[in-house]
Amino acid sequence: MSVYLRNAFRFILLVLIQVLLLNKISLFWWTSPGGIPPYVPYIYPLFILLLPFATPVWFLLVAGFMMGVTVDTFMNTGGMHAAACVLMAFARTIVLESLLPKRLDEFKTMSPNVKSMGWTPFMTYAAILLTVHHIYFFVLEIWGFQSIGYMFIKVLISLITSLIFVALYSLLFSSSINTIYYDK
Amino acid sequence: MRQFILLIRRYWNIILFLLLQGICFSMISKSHTMQGNDIVNSSNSISGYVYKKQNDVVYYFQLKRLNDSLLNENARLRNLIAGNSNIDTFRDAIATIPVTAKDTVITTTKDSTGAIKITSTGVTKVVRYASYYYIPARVINNSIANDKQNSITINRGSADGVGKEMAVVTGNGIVGRVENVSEHYATIVSVLSDRKTAAKLSDGTGPYFPIWDGNSPDYLITEKVPSYVKIKRGDSIYTIGSSFYPENILIGTIAKIDTIKASGTKTLKVRLSTNFRKLQYVYVVKNKLSEERNKLEAKSTEKTK
Repeated sequence: MSVYLRNAFRFILLVLIQVLLLNKISLFWWTSPGGIPPYVPYIYPLFILLLPFATPVWFLLVAGFMMGVTVDTFMNTGGMHAAACVLMAFARTIVLESLLPKRLDEFKTMSPNVKSMGWTPFMTYAAILLTVHHIYFFVLEIWGFQSIGYMFIKVLISLITSLIFVALYSLLFSSSINTIYYDK
Repeated sequence: MRQFILLIRRYWNIILFLLLQGICFSMISKSHTMQGNDIVNSSNSISGYVYKKQNDVVYYFQLKRLNDSLLNENARLRNLIAGNSNIDTFRDAIATIPVTAKDTVITTTKDSTGAIKITSTGVTKVVRYASYYYIPARVINNSIANDKQNSITINRGSADGVGKEMAVVTGNGIVGRVENVSEHYATIVSVLSDRKTAAKLSDGTGPYFPIWDGNSPDYLITEKVPSYVKIKRGDSIYTIGSSFYPENILIGTIAKIDTIKASGTKTLKVRLSTNFRKLQYVYVVKNKLSEERNKLEAKSTEKTK
């Protein structure tokens, strides 16, 4: 499968997972135990995280905007996800360059994922960018710093759950993670 | 000129980033007006279709719960039928509800010691009959975790007579207001948003304005209730006639009362009678007289501007 087709499929798959599964989680009582506000984990930023290393910045920005607007359409948030996703796409190059030993255009056809980076670097990379995304999104949504503790709780529980789902997605859809262990 | 083009090429990424952020912010500000954003919302046909397909699947897993809620609804309607025998409850129903007003008559009398005693008696009169048209609809998407504005998508649209600014209720209580309409779908801003609802107690005192505080989807908060108002836990509050909801629809019951001594007011925590986590069927309320009323009100606000 070509890299374009694979990413297009991933776009649709992630939107469907986000909209049809994860958005429904907040409807259950166990998402608000003991006064903690109900929350939604966000997995759709993974689309930006998994684009190839050599993707130019302008394409990252436009792709982030498209993804955000699509999710906004489904969730009636009118531009908040798009804004957060564009910021995350802008930060991606900076984070990757500081995490990796080589320059980004030297990784020709590779994409950042568990197989190419290993678990710890990939999860660090995902955690940094998801934190950026979540904080920006919840600042936009709550709009103000009056209830900063409330915002902190919401970012934290949403972020932890998002990371768990990112890890689950990597386990499910990276076809050959196990080859690393076979080689040893 | 060449310098300028070079400058743009050098900072192209940042310019594009700021441009996209600008577009996002204009979309956000548009979606927070009363009119709503017409493109980016789930009443458009693509997302409406996806939600519909999902609901068709999930529907089967919820049949047991649905049965229970419909049984309750049936029991309630059967009680109502006893009063109004000519309403057909199996189709879209027309209900005629009397709109009442209280005439206050004040009489002053002098008793034997010469002190003046003032008594006021209220006489309830029917002013006119409001006609409401109830359009049943199925909820195909529902959110409760947003902080400022939660929305619901239903499978009825302008083709079924749903229009903007219509009230939405369930058998148990209020749900919200229609925000955007397409041909076959409509989105509703639910009560779980930063907009107030006008309410009264069962004896008619009010209006009070319950508002959602962004925390639990089961409670509303009512502030600034004067402390002389007699309220106890478990009292019910209802919608008032001058808001856009039909009169006397249950909003919820009072779960907690906090008295604030400094300002002489009470803060009420109201448990919503509508369970937003399990919303299945709603009714869109079409008031036949609302168009006339809106036109008149728009005219008078124009004059004061």
